[in-house]
Parts: sequence; structure tokens; C-alpha cells
Amino acid sequence: MADIGTVVASLVYGVLLGFVFAAIAHGLNLIWGVTKVVNAAHGEFIMLGAYGAYFLNLAWGLDPLTASLIDAALGLGVGVAFYFAFLHRELRGKEQIGLQTELVTLVATFGLGLAIVNVGTLAFRYPVGLRYNPGNVVLGGLSVPLGGVYVGLASLGIIVVSHLFLTRTYLGNAIRAYGQDIVAAKLMGVNPTAVAAIATGIGFAMTMAGGAFLTVYLRAGITPLIGLTYAPISFVIVVLGGPGKMWGSLVGGVTIGVLLDVLQAFVPVEFAYAAAFLFVIPILALRPEGILR
Amino acid sequence: MTDLRTAWFRPAWRKLKALGPTAQALAVALVALAALGPILPVALFVIAILFMIYATWAYSINLITGMTGYVSFGHVVFVGTGGYALGYGVKVWNLAPLAGVALGGLFGALLAVGIGAVTLRLRGAYFAIATLVTPLAAFYIVSGTPALGDGAGLPMNLGFQIGTQYYTIWALLTAEVALTWWATRGRLGLGIHALREDEDAARAVGIHVPRLKLILYVLSGGFAGAAGAVFAWYVSGVFPDTFSLLFSLTMLAMIIIGGMGTVLGPMLGAVIVLIPHLYLLRILPQGEPIAIGVAVILIALFLPGGIVGTIRRYVPEARRYLE
Repeated sequence: MADIGTVVASLVYGVLLGFVFAAIAHGLNLIWGVTKVVNAAHGEFIMLGAYGAYFLNLAWGLDPLTASLIDAALGLGVGVAFYFAFLHRELRGKEQIGLQTELVTLVATFGLGLAIVNVGTLAFRYPVGLRYNPGNVVLGGLSVPLGGVYVGLASLGIIVVSHLFLTRTYLGNAIRAYGQDIVAAKLMGVNPTAVAAIATGIGFAMTMAGGAFLTVYLRAGITPLIGLTYAPISFVIVVLGGPGKMWGSLVGGVTIGVLLDVLQAFVPVEFAYAAAFLFVIPILALRPEGILR
Repeated sequence: MTDLRTAWFRPAWRKLKALGPTAQALAVALVALAALGPILPVALFVIAILFMIYATWAYSINLITGMTGYVSFGHVVFVGTGGYALGYGVKVWNLAPLAGVALGGLFGALLAVGIGAVTLRLRGAYFAIATLVTPLAAFYIVSGTPALGDGAGLPMNLGFQIGTQYYTIWALLTAEVALTWWATRGRLGLGIHALREDEDAARAVGIHVPRLKLILYVLSGGFAGAAGAVFAWYVSGVFPDTFSLLFSLTMLAMIIIGGMGTVLGPMLGAVIVLIPHLYLLRILPQGEPIAIGVAVILIALFLPGGIVGTIRRYVPEARRYLE
């Protein structure tokens, strides 16, 4: 029988992990909510963010937190480029996003994802790891690694800042307006292309910063294949919280983080991941708008 | 006298002529594959088996994604399930491989009933995501199940039975091509076409949309499972890597390149995808997925109809004979 300390420790780890999960899913959530298309290559940009943190650590000795800022700046550029390469042709001039657009963008980004994964496996034969260990903090008798605390809080920070940005600034409101009703947003003087491109860029910035945070949890090292695990986790989180609901990432992320952590205490780790992935199917079937109202 | 002797095949001949050039060309190709089997050199014979496995997968995903527009990213889950069904049946129950193929088809179809009953109510990206997670979960499940080799897979020692493999996969492919051809015409074909264009409108004119989708999905899963079992037989083993999303991409790539929802497209796509597979695999193992990925991006964005769809779009005369 597990004593209360172990249960609390497990919950704390799970919540901290859930914050990071929320951060990596948040970019997908924003892009999905605003442009109504799903980036099937999402996991590969998480992977690129993780490699970004690795190289910045290798070159300048930066820790994942500082590296995430540079990753975010890179992600902004990559996201805008991605918008014009993959989404603009399909979204331009549309006032309603139909199934045909969804199909084309899903298939094209799925192709992109697998191309990136395989360029990655060509470039990196072995997992790489970065050293970042700021020590442990003792909280009420249990020892929590500080690295996990820092990235967890930084992830929470990303979500809070993005919420403030989306609700308190002109650009944020324009992005939300575009996501709600393209025609009305245009009538209010919003430039649809600029708003969609910037939203995609911000989504990518958060995704790649989340990838940098994730490196703290990648005990087996960074490999080009990590996207194949964390993309489905992101999909599950966004579906759980409801696409376009910005607090949904946090609720979904913490749910999945705790679920994975608790499940691992009872079943082999493989089954814990399988269960977390398959969790999306009953949610989609029963509450496709997410568990939040 | 001549009249009496030739009279018997006249109706049959007329029916054959009425099939149209696409079906005739496919029939000629399939009959040629069957007839040439015994005289092909072994190297080509082995490649022909692989080609027919790929083509069966292409027609399989065409049944659901091509015909209804539901993107099944996780189609490889049926391939892996079929392979593991054959592996388990052969290793544990000492089944004959041919019975293993039947078992693979059965398990593929059963899994499709389960997944389809829940996920086919979802549309667009939701369906794609729900199907995408299934092979990833299956990968973790087979990696952690001792009875299924605990991540090491189930290697098999079945001997060299390429003759049986050849005609098994030929029969599967022929049945599937015939099914695809039949499902694109008549009332059924119109119903499927309506479903793809506008599901709500199709429902409104009295098409039983959920049943139609589920039947197509189950047939698709069954054929993918049976072909996955033949693949496991062909490579003498089944491993967790069988659930790799790369197979899903390859399947999608074949119908995207050839033309979604068409009768000829998957066959063309299988030819086009397999040729680089044979060469690139030797030079650079990652070259193939990169090339396929880039081809999928370009065709999806710029030529959404694939080869057959694009020709039909720009050459109106071709619409009569190119299906």
C-alpha cells in the first residue's frame, strides 16, 4: 500500500509534467482553434524545439529555459513560413473552412511530418541528451527535481501570458475574432491573412518552446522519433480540453500528466501510454467539444 | 453451324465490351499477372508479390479514404493486426499460413467494426486523429505483451512458399479491384459519390449513410488485415515496427498520387510508389519516406486529384474511359 507521501509526490510530478504537456499542446490548440486546420506535423516541431535546446546548450551552454526564448523566436519565423507554404493557398479568401480544406492540409502536413522525421533519423543516429540539473527542492518531506519545477512554472507562464495576449491586446482580440467568424472579423477591419499567419507563428513559437521544456523529461535522450509520442499526446490534450479553448490545454495537459503518472504505478509504462492515446476516442465520441463548457 | 458454336460467348463478350476500358485494362493486367506467374524469374516473382501486397493496401485505403473522404491516418493498424493474427495463429495454434491470412482478414474486419462504430460518427480532423492514435497505441500494446513477443515480435519459420503467397495475394487483389469497380457504379456508386460530396444531403435523400460508411470501413479493414497477414508471411515474421506510421503514409501516398476514389488510381499509385521503394531502399533507407513525404505534400497541395483525377479534370474526353 502506497503511503500518502508517495501519492502526493506522484501527483506533484504528474501536475508538473502536465504543465509541460499543456505547453506543447497549446500551440496546436491555438492554430486549430483559429485557422480550423490541424497540423499533423505538430510533433516534429516539438522535436525541432527539443533539438534547438540541445544545440543551444552545446554551443553556448544555455539551459532549456533560456533556450526556449530563442526557440520561440525561431518558431515564430518557422510558423509564418509554414502558414504561407501549407495553409495560405487553402485558407485564402475562404469564409468557412470545409472538409476539403481539412483533408488537403491534414494530408500535406502528415507528409511533411514523416519527411522531417526521416531527415532527422538520417542526421541523428543516436539519442542526444543535454545536461541540466539545478538540484532538488524538498517540499514537505519529498524531493522534487528543480528542473521539473522550473519548466513546469515556465509552461504555466506561457499559458497565462498567451491568455493575457489573446484577451487584452488588439492583435489577440483580432486573432480570436478571426477564429470565431471570418466575415465579421473582416468587416471590423481585420486583415485575415496577417492574423492567421501571426496566429500560426505564435502557435509554432509556443510549440518549439514547449519542446525545449520537454528535454528535462526526456530521460532516454532526444531522438527524431519523439514527435511520434508527443504529437498524439498533444492531440489528446487539445481534444480533451476542446479545440480553441485556451484553458483547455491546461486542463487537458494536467489530466493527461496525472493520468500517465498514476497509471504507471499500476501497469507497465507501454500500457500507460497506450491508454493515454486511446483516451481520445471515448472523449471524441461522447464530448467532441471537450470536457470544458 | 458457326453461329451455334459461337453463340454461347456472345452475351459474355458483349458484357466484357460494356465494362469500359479501365476495367478491361485492369482485368488484362490481373489475368496477365496470374498467367505469367509460373514463368517469371524468381527475383521478379518476389517483387510481384510485394507489388500486389502494396496494391491491395492501396485499394483498401481507397475504399474508405478515397471513396468517402474520411482520412484514415491509422490504416496501418489493420496491417499490423492482420500480421500479428497470422503470427499468433501460426506459432501458437499451428495454423496453416493460408488459414492465418483468413484469420488476419477476420481480425482486421473485426477491429474495423470496433473502431468504425465509434469513430465514423466523427468528421474531418476528428476522424483523422481518432484513427491516428490507434496504431500508436497498438505499438505500445504489442511491445508490452509477452504473448506477442514483448517488443521482439514473432519471427516465423514457414519455409519458402512464394507460389502460394503469389496466388493468395492475387486472389485478394482481384477481389478487391472487382469490389472497387462495382462500388463505383450503379445505385451504390451514386450513393457513395453523394456521401463523399455532402454527407447531410446524402442522408436527406434517403441514403443510409452510417451503414454505408461502416460497410466500406469494415471491408477496407478486412482487406488490409489479410494483406498484412500475407506481408507477415512474406517477410517470415511480424514485429512492432509493422505499426509504423510510415506504412500509413505509404498507403495514403499511393491513392493520393494515383487518384482518390478512382478505380485505376490505386494501381498506378502502387506502381509509382514501389519502383522508388526497390531502388531507394538499397541506396538510402530514409530516402524513400522523405521522397514519398515530399511527393505527398506537392500532390496534395497542387494536384489534389492525383494522376487520374487531374487527367479527368483537364481532358474532358478522358472522363468516358478513365475511371
